[in-house]
Amino acid sequence: MNRVLAMMFKEWKICIDTPLGYVIAVAFFLASGYFFSSNLFLIGQADMRNWFSSLPLLLMFFMPALAMRMLADEQRTGTFELLATMPLRTGEIVAGKFLAVLLQITLLLALTLTYPLTLALIGDLDVGQVSVSYIAALLMASSYAAMCLFASGITRYEVVAYVVGFGLLLAMFLVSQSLPLLPPAMQDTVMLLSPLAHYESMIRGMLALEDVLYFLSLTGLFLILTWFSLERRRWM
Amino acid sequence: MIHAELLSRQYGIPSSKKTDNGAFYAVRDLSFHVRRGEVMGLLGPNGAGKSTTMKMLTCFLPPSSGDATINGVPLKDDVRIRQQLGYLPEQAPLYTDLDVHAHLAFIASMQGLPKATAADRIREMARLCGLESVLNRRIDELSKGFRQRVGLAASMLHDPVCLILDEPTTGLDPNQIVEIRHLIRRLGEEKTVLLSSHVLSEVEAVCDRVMIISDGQLRSIGTTDELSRAASGESRLRLVLRGDVSRFTTAIRSQHSTCSVEAEVAATGDDVYQLMLSCSDPSVHLGELAFQAAVSAGAVLLEMQPQSTSLEDVFHQMTGGRS
Repeated sequence: MNRVLAMMFKEWKICIDTPLGYVIAVAFFLASGYFFSSNLFLIGQADMRNWFSSLPLLLMFFMPALAMRMLADEQRTGTFELLATMPLRTGEIVAGKFLAVLLQITLLLALTLTYPLTLALIGDLDVGQVSVSYIAALLMASSYAAMCLFASGITRYEVVAYVVGFGLLLAMFLVSQSLPLLPPAMQDTVMLLSPLAHYESMIRGMLALEDVLYFLSLTGLFLILTWFSLERRRWM
Repeated sequence: MIHAELLSRQYGIPSSKKTDNGAFYAVRDLSFHVRRGEVMGLLGPNGAGKSTTMKMLTCFLPPSSGDATINGVPLKDDVRIRQQLGYLPEQAPLYTDLDVHAHLAFIASMQGLPKATAADRIREMARLCGLESVLNRRIDELSKGFRQRVGLAASMLHDPVCLILDEPTTGLDPNQIVEIRHLIRRLGEEKTVLLSSHVLSEVEAVCDRVMIISDGQLRSIGTTDELSRAASGESRLRLVLRGDVSRFTTAIRSQHSTCSVEAEVAATGDDVYQLMLSCSDPSVHLGELAFQAAVSAGAVLLEMQPQSTSLEDVFHQMTGGRS
């Protein structure tokens, strides 16, 4: 566990020592602030629902950026060989990297807590719904982080990692958007597999076990795929 | 210390050469033994399989067949193997966004060193590798020589019994090369070192024994002297003689028919000649033979110098002239 945490803190240190982390954070808050304020001032509603609905779109752009260099960079610069020849398991590398991405997105989401605090001052905020929505956001972010980490594990190039990560998240987004176009018989199955459908159900304020399990399973599945992507050298 | 037994690594890339059911062998049936406290040079042209061999020994790549043990631990016990090893891959990969201390501290935590021990080891390795003045500098601001030293320091943090260094002096300037060689030599007094290189002078300067591989196969192994002797297959003596060369040559041939005198070296004037005396019979003492032949020919020997085959010649011969 110490190694996993050391890996996480190393990534955190690189993130705060280099401009990339700050650029992503500033861009995230500009985009996120736009969605929040347009809802507040243009529509005149003091609730977070629309902001949470726009979050998957935001994460689609920002999550691949947070995760793209995690493994691709290690493979391109050769430091992965260094890690892989030290007495730690590939699983520990994957876990440390995943926690590093999760830490970064959690901090970004934590800073958006200023939105509900502002709303609480000027209106009547449904604290329960917002709390469940944040849990939903974190769960969705963790599955997105795992997907983007997988994208970073299959290539040496950050740009490719970004495009593949973005492509995966876009595919998830399009699946849920295409629901009305599908035959009714397929709709239930696709809804069951769509992260957005689970997320939408949670941000309505319902914390259902099946939704939580869905996101945890999706996260686990992509972490395992990431592990395979790093172990592939053994079977080549 | 390191025992490799028929190590092979094949890739699924079809190749016109070394094919066996369409597979490409990067290393094939490589067996060798590196003794405790020995610096072994792994020499070979580019693409000979040096790095693949090292990657297998460090458990980065599993061998397709064969096995090896390091300090008695088999390769399949990869975590224990890695505890025994310090590995410096080619080009010393480093976290260039970190400062030297943070990089070494990270490596120490990956090696599982307790914090207090790690701090002591970082100090000790920084002193040994001459990094004290740059400990707080970011790695991307350092020269190649310093980066290489950071890589070496990182590979030794956990005090491994065996060091595997893949071309540790690549890209360094002559002064830095000398420094790193001194450092490796010093390390070799305590640790087993396997060092790959295609710089022959480096191997000659640093290694106790040399192993030459080409096309993934072992061509020769031994000390540089042993390799030279094995490669030339004859002993040679360079002579400077004053007198009648043809009588001297006849005298040599009458005593030993297996010996020859090469007249390719031209006369230097004043009846003084340079000659090369060679003999394929190892029992013949060339110095004694030359002396007796000179006496019977009435010639005077001015100089005698035993000639050995250089490592360059050995390398060229063993690898079929590939570079």
